[in-house]
Amino acid sequence: MLKLLTYLLAQKKATLSDVCPPLEASARGLPALTEEACTGTGCNACAKLCPTDAIAVVDEKTDSGSAKVAIDLGACIGCGLCFQNCPTGTIAQNLSTRNARRKREELVLKNDEVAVLPEANTGNGSHNPFKYSLHARVVSTGCSACDLEIAASGNPIFDIERFGVHIVASPRFADALIVTGPVGKGMQTALKRCYEAMAEPRVVIAAGTCAISGGVHRNGYTDAQGADNVLPVDVYIPGCPPQPWQLVYGVLLAMGRQSCLKPEEDVILCHPTQPTPHPFPTQSR
Amino acid sequence: MKLDIKTTVADTLTSDLDSWLTEKDGRRTGLLTSIDGSEVMLLLLDTQGGTAELWCAPVPDNSYTSLTLKFPQLHWFERVLWDLFGVVPLQHPRLKPVVIHEEYPQKFYPLRQTEWQDNGHNAVHDEHHFLEVHGAGVWELPVGPIHAGIIEPGHFRFSCLGENIVNLELRLGYVHRGVEKKITEVPWQKAHFVAEAAATDTACANALAHAIAVESLLDLEPPLAVQSLRTIALETERAAMHIADIGGMMTDIGMVGLAATMSRLRGSALNLAQALSGSRFFRAYIVPGGIAAYPTASALLQAQELVVSLKKSLRPVLTMFQENQAAISRMDGIGKLKRSLAAEFGFVGVAARACGVDYDARRHFPHGLYPLKAPPTVLETSGDILACTNVRIRELFASLDLIEELIGTSRFDGNSDRAVTSLPAKLPANKQSCAVVEAFRGELIHLLLTDEQGNIKRYAIKDPSLNNWTMISIMVRDNLIADFPLCNKSLALSYGGNDL
Repeated sequence: MLKLLTYLLAQKKATLSDVCPPLEASARGLPALTEEACTGTGCNACAKLCPTDAIAVVDEKTDSGSAKVAIDLGACIGCGLCFQNCPTGTIAQNLSTRNARRKREELVLKNDEVAVLPEANTGNGSHNPFKYSLHARVVSTGCSACDLEIAASGNPIFDIERFGVHIVASPRFADALIVTGPVGKGMQTALKRCYEAMAEPRVVIAAGTCAISGGVHRNGYTDAQGADNVLPVDVYIPGCPPQPWQLVYGVLLAMGRQSCLKPEEDVILCHPTQPTPHPFPTQSR
Repeated sequence: MKLDIKTTVADTLTSDLDSWLTEKDGRRTGLLTSIDGSEVMLLLLDTQGGTAELWCAPVPDNSYTSLTLKFPQLHWFERVLWDLFGVVPLQHPRLKPVVIHEEYPQKFYPLRQTEWQDNGHNAVHDEHHFLEVHGAGVWELPVGPIHAGIIEPGHFRFSCLGENIVNLELRLGYVHRGVEKKITEVPWQKAHFVAEAAATDTACANALAHAIAVESLLDLEPPLAVQSLRTIALETERAAMHIADIGGMMTDIGMVGLAATMSRLRGSALNLAQALSGSRFFRAYIVPGGIAAYPTASALLQAQELVVSLKKSLRPVLTMFQENQAAISRMDGIGKLKRSLAAEFGFVGVAARACGVDYDARRHFPHGLYPLKAPPTVLETSGDILACTNVRIRELFASLDLIEELIGTSRFDGNSDRAVTSLPAKLPANKQSCAVVEAFRGELIHLLLTDEQGNIKRYAIKDPSLNNWTMISIMVRDNLIADFPLCNKSLALSYGGNDL
C-alpha cells in the first residue's frame, strides 16, 4: 500500500491542460474543403477512392469556377485517401478536433456555399440545464473502438470528468445517451427502451461515423443506418473512431460549454508535405 | 495461403473428420460455414505443418447430421451456419440462433443464395429459449444486452444457487452488422475497410488477415520492410489491448490507482500506433499489397523512444500488481478451466495458453515476420484467471521487446521498398485462400472465395471469440457470481467479432 502511494505520488500530472487542441501532425484528421478549384469528374479520384461513397463531385461550376464537391463527414471513416490523392488541393486534411455538430446537415461540407458559422459554434444560445453536470449512459451497438475511445476520454490524460461529465450504469441516472455503432436491427429495441427509461430533459449523442450514418455497414440487410434512424439525435461526432478530444468536444457541445474553450479556427488545414502513393489503381474499378 | 476445394460427402463427414483429426498431432478445425447454402464447408488446420485444407460437402436437402455430436468445438459454428444459410445440423444438441434475432423475418437467411427447400427439418427462428435450471433455491439473473460499463452488448442469463453460478447461458448477436455480406458487395479494393471493421479493437489483425488472403490469391509477396512494419503494428495492437485488459482486471479488483496508471500507459501504446500509422487503431494502415504509409525516420525514432519508456513505466506497475496479496487472492483458483475441456472445445488465445494449450498461431502460420520472429509461447498450467493474467503480462513484455528489436534492426529505406503501387482490377476467378493470424485474443481466420468473374463470392471471418464464448460459461460454473466480472474481464471476449 505504501509502495503504491509512493509510486502514485511520484507520478507527474498526466492531464493535459490544453482542452481540445488540434491533432498532432502524426495523426490523420478528417478531410476539409479549401478554396482551390476542383477540375471535376474527369479526375474524380476522391469519389472513386472513398470507401463509404461519402464524396460527390459534379461538373457544374461554382461561382469561383470550381467543380462542385460535397463531402459527408457523417459517412467519412477518416481513411485519408481523398486528401492524400487530391491533385488540386481542393480537399485537405483538417487537424481540428472540434468536428462535432448539432445538425446532421452541418456535417456535409460543400464548396459551393458560403461557409456559415455552424450554429453549434455561435455561443450558448438558450439556457442549457447540463452546463455544469452531465451524466451519460453509453450504449454500444458496434465494434468497440468508439467505446474504447470514450473510456479513454475518461482517463487521466483527457479527464472528461473535470467538466462534470460522469459515465453512469443506468439510463435512470442519465441525462445523455451516447450511442456508438451503426444500430443494426439487433440493438434497435434495446436502444429505444434505454432512451425511454431516461428522464427528460435528455440529449442523445451519436459518437462515431457508424452511429451517424452506419459508416461502412450502411445500406446492408441489417438496417444499420445510425442512431437517428431510431432516435432523435442532438449532437453528431464524426470519426472512425473519433479521437478522445473529438469526443470531449462533442460532449461539451451537448452541454453548451464549447464557448469556454480557447478560441481556435474551425478548420486547421494541414497539407501533406509529400503525396503518399496509394497501392490502389485510381482509374479502374 | 492458397487452398483447393476437396469435395467430400456429408453422410460420412463425421468419420472423415475424425480420422483426419486423429491421424496427426496438432490438427484442429479452423471454421465451419457454407459458401451459398448448398454445401457445408470446413476449413481444417494442420498447425504443425502450417497448412490448411478446405472441405466442401454438398447438402442438397438443407440438412446434414450435426458434427457437434462428435466435435463439441463446432457447436457454435453450426448455430451460425443455420442462422446465415438455413442449413440445419440435425440432432444438434442446442440448436438456437446466434445472430439472427426475432426482429428479422421468419426464414430469413442472409447469406443463402441457392433456393431454400422446405424439407420439414427447418426449425423456425421463434422466441429465444434459455436453458432453465429448476430446483429449490435456484434463481435466475438476466443481464444485458446493455451492460453497466462502456462495452459492447450481449445478454447473459445466470442460474444461481445462492451465490454460486450453476449455469450461464449466453445470447449474442445484438451487434450483427452483416460484415461478411458487405465485403462481397463492395469492390474488392475497398473490402479491407469493411474487414477491419469486423472488430475495430482488432483492426490491425483483421486488416493483416485480409491482406494476406488477397495477396496469396495474387501471388504477391510484400517486401521485407512491409512485413516488418506489419509485425510491429500487430504487436503494438496486442500490447495496447493487453494493457487495457490488465487495467480492466485492476479496475474490477478495485485497485483504481493502478488502473488509472494503466489507462494512461495505454495512451502511450496508442501514441506509438499513431506515430507509425496516423491512427491510434491502425485504421486503413495495412492494405492488400503493402501498407498505406511509410513512417518517417523521425516517426520511427519517436516510436522507439515510446516503446522503451513504455516498457520502463510498465514494469513497476505490473510488479506491484503481481505482488499484491489482495489481487492474488481475488484471482487465485478463480474461474479455473480444465485443459481437457479447452482442447475439446478448441479454445484459443491467452486463456487457452493459461491452462496449458500450446498454440500460438505466430509459431505455426506465416504472417508478417512469423513464424521466423515468433516469440516463445507463454504457457501456464493452472487455468485460473491468475494464470490468464500472468500469461497476458508476459506476452505484453514479449510484444514490446519484439517491437523494440524490429524498429531497431529493420531497414526501411524509402522508395526502393515501397509496396506494389497498382493491383489488378479483378481477383483471379474461382480461387480460394485463407489467412491465419494470431490476434491479441487468439487465432483469427479470414477465408476468401472468388466466383467466375473474379469477384469475392464468399468471405468468412472467424474471430477468436467465436471459439471462446463457450469458455466463459464453462469457467464461471460453481464460481461466485461476484467473481463473474473478473472472469469476464480476464477473457476479454469480442462481441462485434462474434456477431459480425
